[in-house]
Amino acid sequence: MKITVKIRRALAGGGAPFATVVCLLMYAIYAVRAPSALSIFGITNVLNDAIVLAIGSVGLTVVVLAGEFDLSGVGVIAIANVLVATTSGATGLGAVGSLALVLAIGLLVGTINGVLVALFHLQSLAATIGTMIACEGVALLILPAPGGEVADNIATGLTGDVAGVMPVALLILGGFAAAWFLFKRTSLGVAIYATGADAQAARLSGINLRRTRLVAFMLAGLCYAFAGYMLSAETGTGDPRVSSALLLFMYAAVAIGGTSLSGGKGGVFGSLAGAGILTVLQKMLFALGVAEFYTNIFNGIVMICALLFGNLASLLVGSVRRQVAK
Amino acid sequence: MTAISLHHRLPEGWGVPLVVFACTAFLVVVIKLISPGSALAQQIEAILVTAIFLVIASMGQGLAILLGGIDLSIGVVMGLAGMMISGLTNGADAALGWAVPATLASCAGIGVFNGLGIALAGIPPFIMTLASGSIFFGIGLGFTAGAAQRPVAPVLQKLMSGHVFGLPLPVLLLAVFAVAAMAFQNGSVEGRRLYAIGSNPKAAKIVGLPIRPLTVAVYGVSGLCAGIAGVLLAGYASAATLDMGDPFLMPTIAAVVIGGARVTGGRGLYLGTFAGALFLSVLETIITVLSLSQGLRDIIEGTIIVMALLLQTAPGKRRF
Repeated sequence: MKITVKIRRALAGGGAPFATVVCLLMYAIYAVRAPSALSIFGITNVLNDAIVLAIGSVGLTVVVLAGEFDLSGVGVIAIANVLVATTSGATGLGAVGSLALVLAIGLLVGTINGVLVALFHLQSLAATIGTMIACEGVALLILPAPGGEVADNIATGLTGDVAGVMPVALLILGGFAAAWFLFKRTSLGVAIYATGADAQAARLSGINLRRTRLVAFMLAGLCYAFAGYMLSAETGTGDPRVSSALLLFMYAAVAIGGTSLSGGKGGVFGSLAGAGILTVLQKMLFALGVAEFYTNIFNGIVMICALLFGNLASLLVGSVRRQVAK
Repeated sequence: MTAISLHHRLPEGWGVPLVVFACTAFLVVVIKLISPGSALAQQIEAILVTAIFLVIASMGQGLAILLGGIDLSIGVVMGLAGMMISGLTNGADAALGWAVPATLASCAGIGVFNGLGIALAGIPPFIMTLASGSIFFGIGLGFTAGAAQRPVAPVLQKLMSGHVFGLPLPVLLLAVFAVAAMAFQNGSVEGRRLYAIGSNPKAAKIVGLPIRPLTVAVYGVSGLCAGIAGVLLAGYASAATLDMGDPFLMPTIAAVVIGGARVTGGRGLYLGTFAGALFLSVLETIITVLSLSQGLRDIIEGTIIVMALLLQTAPGKRRF
């Protein structure tokens, strides 16, 4: 029963509050320089910029919590993007049909990853390098060069706002946050935390490690696919080469949000805030007139600082908790 | 059965590198089969010359992974090294005498910066090296405005295309580097200490091993290796761009893991990393020879990486 105590502590901890405060502070600085940031249009704009990274890192968070790595995210996003660009048009599957197709592909890739890691015991970092490269190949086969067209109802419907008061992106992100809030309390959610925190203890307390790892990868695949769908809505076109920088940004968002890359600690709320920080940072620097190439430097410094202060905060708040957790 | 009997006869961990070498040899035979016209010796020579960058850069990645860490700044450091060496020499050999040490020292310095953040500030290696990669890429961009540099010093270009005793210089370099790396990782006291730290950091701390200095040193060496690889790559391509190292980052990780290392640290020989790097280089060559579309190439490459991993994982082994 000791394990449930551990898990409850892990659920209570995490860097989400800290990351949210930093994100809001940066947004405030941005808003001072660019007052339009406070209008519904400005908020929608920022959320649209953040949503692909945010949903991608939600998926990644689930795998990382289970104690594994997943690099296949950009591959799935690329496939989803080119599929939407080639199938969502008037003669194709339409918005709903292409969404279903994309989610099925995401689930398939997630299942392949999960089977390789959970059943064949491959190291996830290496196995998902393989699936990432293969997925990028599939995306190139579907659409060899940038092009295609995303259906209008996807491109305008998902990037606008509802009745001029509520950005669609906020509804979607809220939906993901609510789903996570419910999911992490289910036995499966607890199993994911337990597997990542201490696999052997989790197994001894009756958790099915194989099933847990498999499901974590499948959920991640679904999230990546939806992130790719949203990317198509943002860009309105297909591009088989999704920048590998997005993958590293996904990891950065997860880590800034306080999720431990060794598993078992953190959560999706932190990753959402982390994605917010990385997006608002670009906006803020641009509004402050900082030359564009310096944003790389600031990105790096923000990552290091977020982790440093996160460490410091958890040292102050939870030195006792960490002792127990070890 | 053969894999099991190998494990009995050989020192621990040798099984995987040998399997990977066997796979590599198989791929070479496949190359011979699909392009019978070309001379095999020349093909192998060409593969070895292009393998040198991955072999050298993977050495540092292997050490970082041995400690249970990772180095994601390798690609950026390779690009920076190439830009620095061509920018400093400006196409003249006279400057090489100080430009090479200055470049390599800077690259090792980036590694030491990584190591300090990891060992002293307690930042996870994944994030520390990712962040420093971003920072130094930005600095490089600031200095060069992203433009490709002037031609690389001719001596460096000759180094990558010259022959000694009928063998290409890069192949000799490759052999010397591999022997030195093996001697360090699997023959020295420091190397053994790294295994101890990687497999059980707490025990290593209790025993009193100098964890922090060794961590800083490992990332310093990784930066140095990436720097050497970058300088050689600039010589080979006779030009440098800031992002020319990026395609090497993922393969360095793949090479180390295919070679039998454990991502959580403490396991894996340099011989394995070496075998993994050669395997990936041969795979790259074979896929180029096939003259398929880029999409099919990627699919084949990804699938073969997964197959190689499946092959070396003994069935029925439990992992927690």
